[in-house]
Amino acid sequence: MHNGFVIETKALTKRFGKFVALNGLDLSVETGAIHGLLGPNGAGKTTSIKVLCGLIKPTSGEAYIFGKRVPDKSILPRIGYMPQETALYLDLSVHHNLAMYGELYGLSGKKIAEREKDLLRFVALEKWKDSPVGNLSGGMKHRVSLACSMIHEPALLFLDEPTVGVDPELRASFWEYFNLLKRAGVTIVMTTHYMDEAQHCDKIGLVRQGRVIAEGTPESITAQTGTANLEEAFLALSRRQVNA
Amino acid sequence: MNLGRTLSITKRIFRGLLNDRRALAMMFVTPIASIIIFGVAFSGDINSVEVVVVDLDEGYRIPPSSVPVSVADAIVANLDTDVVIIRRVNTEAEALETVKNGDAYGMIVFPEHLTQNAYSRQMDPGVPLEATVRLELDQSNVTVANSILKVVNEATVKASSSMGVQAAVTLDNSHAIYAGDARLRDFTVPGITVFDVFVLTFILTILAFVSERTSGNLARLRVTPLEDSELVVGYALAFSTIAVLQAGAMLAIIVLVFKVMVAGSVLLAFLVVALMAVLSLSLGMLLSTLAKRDAQAIQFVTLVIMPSLLLGGCFWPLESLPGWVRPLSYAIPPRYAADAMRAVMLRGWGIGQIWVELVAMAAITVGCLALSVFRLRGDRGR
Repeated sequence: MHNGFVIETKALTKRFGKFVALNGLDLSVETGAIHGLLGPNGAGKTTSIKVLCGLIKPTSGEAYIFGKRVPDKSILPRIGYMPQETALYLDLSVHHNLAMYGELYGLSGKKIAEREKDLLRFVALEKWKDSPVGNLSGGMKHRVSLACSMIHEPALLFLDEPTVGVDPELRASFWEYFNLLKRAGVTIVMTTHYMDEAQHCDKIGLVRQGRVIAEGTPESITAQTGTANLEEAFLALSRRQVNA
Repeated sequence: MNLGRTLSITKRIFRGLLNDRRALAMMFVTPIASIIIFGVAFSGDINSVEVVVVDLDEGYRIPPSSVPVSVADAIVANLDTDVVIIRRVNTEAEALETVKNGDAYGMIVFPEHLTQNAYSRQMDPGVPLEATVRLELDQSNVTVANSILKVVNEATVKASSSMGVQAAVTLDNSHAIYAGDARLRDFTVPGITVFDVFVLTFILTILAFVSERTSGNLARLRVTPLEDSELVVGYALAFSTIAVLQAGAMLAIIVLVFKVMVAGSVLLAFLVVALMAVLSLSLGMLLSTLAKRDAQAIQFVTLVIMPSLLLGGCFWPLESLPGWVRPLSYAIPPRYAADAMRAVMLRGWGIGQIWVELVAMAAITVGCLALSVFRLRGDRGR
């Protein structure tokens, strides 16, 4: 690993026509951390995840995962990606969605069954195993999607708004599971715009207009800005950026 | 009913169109282009079909004139050259060969002593001499065959009356080279089958594959070790299976229920339709890689289907298109299948005679699949 960082980006820039989605984004994520990307809509959170997953080519700048310059096919088996969209086959059952992704990663039937059991318990969908995904509610689909991204036990997990539409009780259990994964050495990068949720992250990057305007533990960021919580910290930092 | 609310729906549709310039352009380009193609291309009449002529008639000197006259020459001179293109060959065997190979739609044979016998018969109908012009046709294309017959018949009547031998000269078209008892539907049904397979499979695939992108699944798949070529071939295998079964069922119905003429091998006909199905799904996949949204895929559907309908030779013979438009039909995939199907079903041709069409279809299929993979790679990480 690169200086103990799973992910490192240097001056990552992405332009879509005139729109600048990423404007020199510098990011470093430590191994085994839960790293939150926090920021308003259109800040560049999703774009940075897509660049890291190799779905979008940056206009300039560099990104490294496991010390390899992105995009690199050899890192794909070790990363998991949960997109913001549902991205599931609605006409297939929960089981068949999971099984297809398992097969794509070359898992054996036995291994898939094992993983499926664990994952369905975690997302509390054991009863729905054989239901077509199209029949499930929005939040349930979201949980299936999360399970699909973890079927192959990735070492690095990209979650684009994993808790949207998930009820508070289940959200709490998600966090328990994320911490469990973390203890097993898994690194998680997630986007969110829930400030309270970001509080659970080991480290957060505040993203605004395509740049990281502050990075650190939630506590260090509030301390640095002399604010009571992340929401106020973010507003203070935004104001500072505007005035600068 | 509230007019304001109604109009707000109308307005939003126009706003959406104004924001999607491509959709707006297509909305006008497609119908205008197809009506132009239709107007320019369709006289509707059969034209420029090749017919071979074997002229064994040596002509006849009517005393006291020293200049020989020829019924054969007179008939040829009276043939409507908008409809038929005449090619002369020396022997009947050569003429038959030309028609059998599909290089001409018919042969006209003017036998020896035609003119002399005609004059003898005209003077004395009792003489045991023949003055018969023979017309042998490839009737696999019923409309074309009928047009040739009409033209030759008219020329025969005109020429013989101008020479005063109208009572003596006869036209014999009782022998057909191919598909003697073909009905019009024996010609149209194979074409319709091909077109159906094409449209059904093409639409099914283009919509299925574009939803892979719009649903977000494509993005997720791309973060797995799945290769673009594996995605394309995996899709092709699934849809081929479906399409081939569909094609088989359609063929079974036209042969068993509608009793369409099958002069050749049913299996070969099945191979043609099956290949058409695989080609259609490949084209569908290629075009869906170019579409970002469902609406764009639908635009491609109209853009592909309109010219195929007009220029594919599925519903009416290509020979009803003006000569200069016909080469365009080579760009229309169903054309190859319709040609090959009719050759097998009406002429009884084997694989040795339709391999060019089969190879053309296979090449288009492989080309589309390869381009799909190329397109997917190109758009990865943009």
